[in-house]
Amino acid sequence: MRFSRMLAGLSLLASSTLLAQSPIEIEEAYVRAVPPTQANTAAFMRLINTSDQDISLVAAQAEVSAVTELHTHLEVEGVMQMRQIDQIIIPAQGQAELRPGGLHVMLIGLNKALTEGEMTSLQLRFSDDSNIEIALPVKSVMSGMMPHGHHKH
Amino acid sequence: MTPIRILLITCILALVATLVFIRQQTEPNSSAPLSTQGGDFTLNSAEGPVSLRDFRGQAVVLYIGYTYCPDVCPLSLAILGQALKQLPEEDAARVQGLFISVDPERDSLEHLRDYARFFHPSLIGLTADKATLDQVVQQYGAFYRRVEMRDSAMEYAVDHSSRLYLINPKGELVGSLSHSSSPDLLLRRIQELLND
Repeated sequence: MRFSRMLAGLSLLASSTLLAQSPIEIEEAYVRAVPPTQANTAAFMRLINTSDQDISLVAAQAEVSAVTELHTHLEVEGVMQMRQIDQIIIPAQGQAELRPGGLHVMLIGLNKALTEGEMTSLQLRFSDDSNIEIALPVKSVMSGMMPHGHHKH
Repeated sequence: MTPIRILLITCILALVATLVFIRQQTEPNSSAPLSTQGGDFTLNSAEGPVSLRDFRGQAVVLYIGYTYCPDVCPLSLAILGQALKQLPEEDAARVQGLFISVDPERDSLEHLRDYARFFHPSLIGLTADKATLDQVVQQYGAFYRRVEMRDSAMEYAVDHSSRLYLINPKGELVGSLSHSSSPDLLLRRIQELLND
């Protein structure tokens, strides 16, 4: 437990160093843990745009999946509708929330099981041609839903 | 009485009647069945056919979705799993969680068994042919439809309603909760079902 937390801390440091070149900052990223036979999962995060221009997330590639797509999940009169989208716009000086029941990065064709507590990596490509590679933890969908303040340190 | 006074009294009476009606709509007695919806069904599991009537005497929580669902299905099943874990042991034996997949093409019985157990060891994963699923979905006032995703590696999505259905030990549907409910709320509703 302590070791994985240390790893998480280190990877956070590593990703902040990478982020120094990009106007996009990424917070609270995680991938949902799935049972071993599950072929797909989703990644969630907060994307923050520190620049004065709108920037879009236009593509993603995960280490653990054959295909990685950008999706949204809309609730229309009580019916959940998942749809593929071309981009996720992060407004200038604003943010985009990828969270359960909405925008997400869809990982399709998993080549390994994703167990809670592990780390995995995800490359994100933005409309300003910048790329960011993040290390993100595998979490249960419930712990991912917890507000940030709930995690005890 | 002046006409204005009559009008005023009529308005007050109408307001009271409306408030009583709204209260009844939003806070139904947990034990009162929704008479027009729900009812028995028989579907397939990896361990053979499973009917709702197999669980007479137990409270049943039912969710309808599919395993390719990125968020609300796993979230609902995680809420259910968490609520079941919080129940005292003697109560937990009197509660059955069921997950019905409306995507039998991709969700094999073995996969559904493993998927359901991932959220709680007692959860049962079920599906059936389209005609049988359509019937159950209609019975519970749920909804699903297959939608092609032309450019996606997923090929298709399954639009679906997302509710945790609460069924009392007599097999009657008494209400439902959304996937944004807390495990604590679901736990309380399950205990109400058991105490009725």
